[in-house]
Amino acid sequence: MKPPNFHYFAPTALEDALVLLAQHGAEARILAGGQSLVPQMNMRRVRPATLIDINRIANLAYVQPTTTGIAIGALTRTTTLEHDALIGSRQPLIAEAARYIGYPAIRNRGTLGGSLAHADPNAELPPVMLALNAEIEVRQHGSSRTITAANFFQGPAKTSLTTGELISEVRIPDLPPGAGSAFIEVSRREGGYAIVGVAAVVVLNADRSIAEARVALCGVGPTPLRATQTEQGSIGQPANAHTWAAAATAVQHEIINPPDDLHGSADYRRHLAAVLVERALTSAAARI
Amino acid sequence: MTTTPEFKWVGKDIKRREDPSLLMGTAKYTNDVQLPGMLHTAVLRSPYAHARIINIDTSAAKQLPGVHVVLTGREAAEILNPVPAFCAEPVVEHAIAIEKVRYAGEAVVAVAADTRYIAEDALDLINIEWELLPPVVDMLAAMQPDAPLVHENLKSNVVFDHTFVFGDVAADFARADRVIKRRLRWPRATAAPMEPSGAVCSYDPGSGRMEVWSNTNMLNFVAWVIASTLKLPPHMVNFNPMYVGGSFGSKHVLGKVIGIAGALSKMTGRPVKFMEDRIDNLTANDSHAADRIYDAALALTNDGTFLSVRLNTFDDYGAYFMFAIAGNTNVMAQAIGPYKINSVEMDIKAILTNKNQQTVFRGAGSDVSNWVLERLVDAAADELGIDGIELRRHNFIQPDQFPYKIPTGNYYDSGNYAGVLDMALANAQLDHWRAEQVRLRSEGRYIGIGLVSAQQRSTYSATEFWFHNPAPASGLTTTPESVRIGIGPTGGFNATLFSTFWGNSPETVVAQAIAEEFDVDPSDVNISYESTRHGLPSAGPGGSRLTVMLSGAVRGAATKVKDKMFKIAAHLLEANADDMELRAGRVWVKGLNDEKYSLSIADIGMKAYWHKFDLPPDMESGLEGSFTYDHPFSSPPNAERTDLGAFYPMMGNAVHIAIVEVDVKTGKVAFLDFIAVHDVGTVMNPRALQGQIRGGIAQGIGIALLEEMRYGPDGQNLSSTFNDYLLPSTLDIPNIKVFHHVTPSPFTTYGVKGGGEGGRMVAPPAVTRAIEDALTPFGIQISELPITPESIVKAIAAANGA
Ligand SMILES: Cc1cc2nc3c(=O)[nH]c(=O)nc-3n(C[C@H](O)[C@H](O)[C@H](O)COP(=O)(O)OP(=O)(O)OC[C@H]3O[C@@H](n4cnc5c(N)ncnc54)[C@H](O)[C@@H]3O)c2cc1C
Repeated sequence: MKPPNFHYFAPTALEDALVLLAQHGAEARILAGGQSLVPQMNMRRVRPATLIDINRIANLAYVQPTTTGIAIGALTRTTTLEHDALIGSRQPLIAEAARYIGYPAIRNRGTLGGSLAHADPNAELPPVMLALNAEIEVRQHGSSRTITAANFFQGPAKTSLTTGELISEVRIPDLPPGAGSAFIEVSRREGGYAIVGVAAVVVLNADRSIAEARVALCGVGPTPLRATQTEQGSIGQPANAHTWAAAATAVQHEIINPPDDLHGSADYRRHLAAVLVERALTSAAARI
Repeated sequence: MTTTPEFKWVGKDIKRREDPSLLMGTAKYTNDVQLPGMLHTAVLRSPYAHARIINIDTSAAKQLPGVHVVLTGREAAEILNPVPAFCAEPVVEHAIAIEKVRYAGEAVVAVAADTRYIAEDALDLINIEWELLPPVVDMLAAMQPDAPLVHENLKSNVVFDHTFVFGDVAADFARADRVIKRRLRWPRATAAPMEPSGAVCSYDPGSGRMEVWSNTNMLNFVAWVIASTLKLPPHMVNFNPMYVGGSFGSKHVLGKVIGIAGALSKMTGRPVKFMEDRIDNLTANDSHAADRIYDAALALTNDGTFLSVRLNTFDDYGAYFMFAIAGNTNVMAQAIGPYKINSVEMDIKAILTNKNQQTVFRGAGSDVSNWVLERLVDAAADELGIDGIELRRHNFIQPDQFPYKIPTGNYYDSGNYAGVLDMALANAQLDHWRAEQVRLRSEGRYIGIGLVSAQQRSTYSATEFWFHNPAPASGLTTTPESVRIGIGPTGGFNATLFSTFWGNSPETVVAQAIAEEFDVDPSDVNISYESTRHGLPSAGPGGSRLTVMLSGAVRGAATKVKDKMFKIAAHLLEANADDMELRAGRVWVKGLNDEKYSLSIADIGMKAYWHKFDLPPDMESGLEGSFTYDHPFSSPPNAERTDLGAFYPMMGNAVHIAIVEVDVKTGKVAFLDFIAVHDVGTVMNPRALQGQIRGGIAQGIGIALLEEMRYGPDGQNLSSTFNDYLLPSTLDIPNIKVFHHVTPSPFTTYGVKGGGEGGRMVAPPAVTRAIEDALTPFGIQISELPITPESIVKAIAAANGA
């Protein structure tokens, strides 16, 4: 389990990294925490000719308040997502999901940008970003653009990033007043990838009717799924067990072709999705 | 509780001596070996489960700079004999496959290069032309007469097929009021130690000698056999003892790993290292374990008295047969569990398939039969409407019946099964949990209690390697272990062991035993391991034997040393050697307390080494003694093989109580409590034993809930990384409460028995029953492991008629 030869660059400025990316094109890969990329290289499943290590770039790991929310640098470690005070107070959903990712040693290295770019269909952070309407700031040499989380994930290990682009920042708009959130998952083993995971946000009106519900899942398809019909169905409903049970039923119709593998059959995943959506919505609402 | 003999050091809760160097990283493992000019190996493995090798083109790989040798199976066969196999059947295995591959992952080409990176680059350049053969994956399909053959020289894939009858099984079933029958499925697991297997071999063409540094853990037992694979005379191969980063049975031989490194070293005249990586280990280490279907039956009377047990076994051995049916003969050591059962029948069908082969993994097959027997006992309790605890108690062998000969011919040395059970009950608060169970069910929550009582055989005799073959077949009849004790001129102790460290506590055991024998502090004892060149007979670790065997060897060596010390002291003190005694690190004239009638161990050491005129006239200088301890209680099988003799007689026992909660919506299982009471005779060191028990229970929970080596219908290994082969971590394991009950063995030094495997042998049925008990309202029977969340959800849905 050793990778083939590759060229290695460790730029210290973002601009240098972008130039290198432009020069090396599709042959190059960014190395962030390495927790997904390095095992794949060791097994020779990916064979980049060039690695651009972004770990030495200053100012790529941060959590900052903005006028409308928070901004998180792409190189921010999962551990930081788990423990950062600003994230904890403004977007506890991120912290709650981060705790399910691997083990402390993994979380000390893995990064937010790496997790999103890796786009594992069972990973926790992608559905969280969907549920939070995150915006992903993408840079390439000479230009930048913003991709919404909803438009970002295209398939297993496939995103809307094009050659030469890297994720520099993720911006998360504040939730409206009266919002609560929850993340839960079932995995075979503590710390393992989710079989199914659910990120939920509930916003209630003063009369505790539902102003907004957001439901996003991992483990039920090639990309994380935002269950928009389920969300629509609960708007205006009272925040009670009946509504959450109806959401559980609804979400099953939105899951078209769930994976069927060693860790869970398609039927089981669909069943879990229903159970977890009901529980996540219940607990999100209870936290308001 | 039985009274324990009084000891000063035996049983003392001192810290493990092994830990500091392990924790500080100073212990040397195989992969730490670095030699000048050393080459590194990578192995190309078959992508197919079953295929003929038509042609191998290695020309491009050979051209790659840094590559020294590219070795195919055909070329290797000129340097190597087949790897060791301890079966009577002609199942031949080569370190590198020659004509065809028999499992996905089998070695096809080995490369030695300047670095492992280059070696792996070279693998990319090798082209192989294959003729695909139909894979034989399902063991029942493999038994069909028209199934493709894994080994064409055998007439059938059923490589072993025999019914053993011990006692009058037919009569016992005939007189039974009821027969409880279950079909039970135990999954293929694998040992997966932290450190994969590996070897550094260094052949010197000048002297014709080979040095080996490998984590094979039975070096003084099997080195001479591995030497024959290397086509070298055994006395020309020296195996150096290495720290072994876990084995659980997976490193007993390592013929392929050592064979590959050895062949490449012979070809290059350079030292060559081959370390398995994790994929090598999971797909091709030969440490897969029992993969069984049991059609099991328990005959009993209406009052719950057990009469007989019948076990029809189908066991998927994979592609080779290195240890023959060792995983099934192991069952014969304790087939009746802790119960009076009059007769036993075991039909064993060992089936070859296109998978990596099965050998032995902690429990060695008795883990499976414990689960099967306890499943039958719980099923009997359910069918008879008798409480499981009372049913067990009713059938226990009683303390005054030991030594107890079981129908297979093995003996149970000692035991107090009701005592162990009572100790567990005293610590489990079952009344509380039963009340909670009722209360929580009304809230839609499901908790369950699983209690089992099971055996943990220890200290095997080598007759179990061959007694399944009809007479006149025979084989090894000893499993010895040796210790050398030397006292230096200044009184310090040196103890030499001939088995390796494989993760257990041999140094702690020997230091405590020497301290006991000489009334010194364990820290006065230095311990080292010896290579095969200086080796005394040693079977090494395995089958929970080392504490028993090392204790006996220490006693023997200490007796020799003390005898000489007493003679020297008696000579100098002008007393009789029979009147000497050891006390507080000095040799005294018995009963006297004036120091002038005594000599310190250092005084005696100095005299023994450097003061010849002070010794008795005919005595040689020096102060050391070696002792080889043979199995203390073993006997041969009879010719009819209806009585196998005593072969695993140091019989431990344990009761495990698991309390779980099952989330019936997701199928997830959470532990609320776990109580383990073990009786392994005299406890040598409580914390070392507790470590063994807890680690074993973790693996037992692993097999109950997580672990399974899966193969696809095409024979692909689907569990070749730890993403897919699910080992439990500390996060999946509850805080286990361990208690010791002590019933000393009458046959061993200090009364110790082995305790290395019991945790894994007893936990699975307890966890299974706890889940089944939680699901009682749904009427679910559990007959298959691992119990996955999905399997629970499906069973509930089926029970609800969904
Ligand atoms: C034992 C173990 C358990 C794990 N368990 C989980 C789990 O439960 N859940 C989970 O979600 N993950 C899990 N992971 C994966 C881990 O969280 C990874 O850290 C994460 O998926 C990738 O992040 P990284 O920073 O390590 O990325 P890397 O491995 O460095 O890179 C991954 C991919 O992203 C690309 N990339 C990285 N950064 C950027 C960027 N800024 N812009 C564009 N592309 C980029 C790389 O080129 C590469 O293709 C586990 C990993 C291990 C080893």
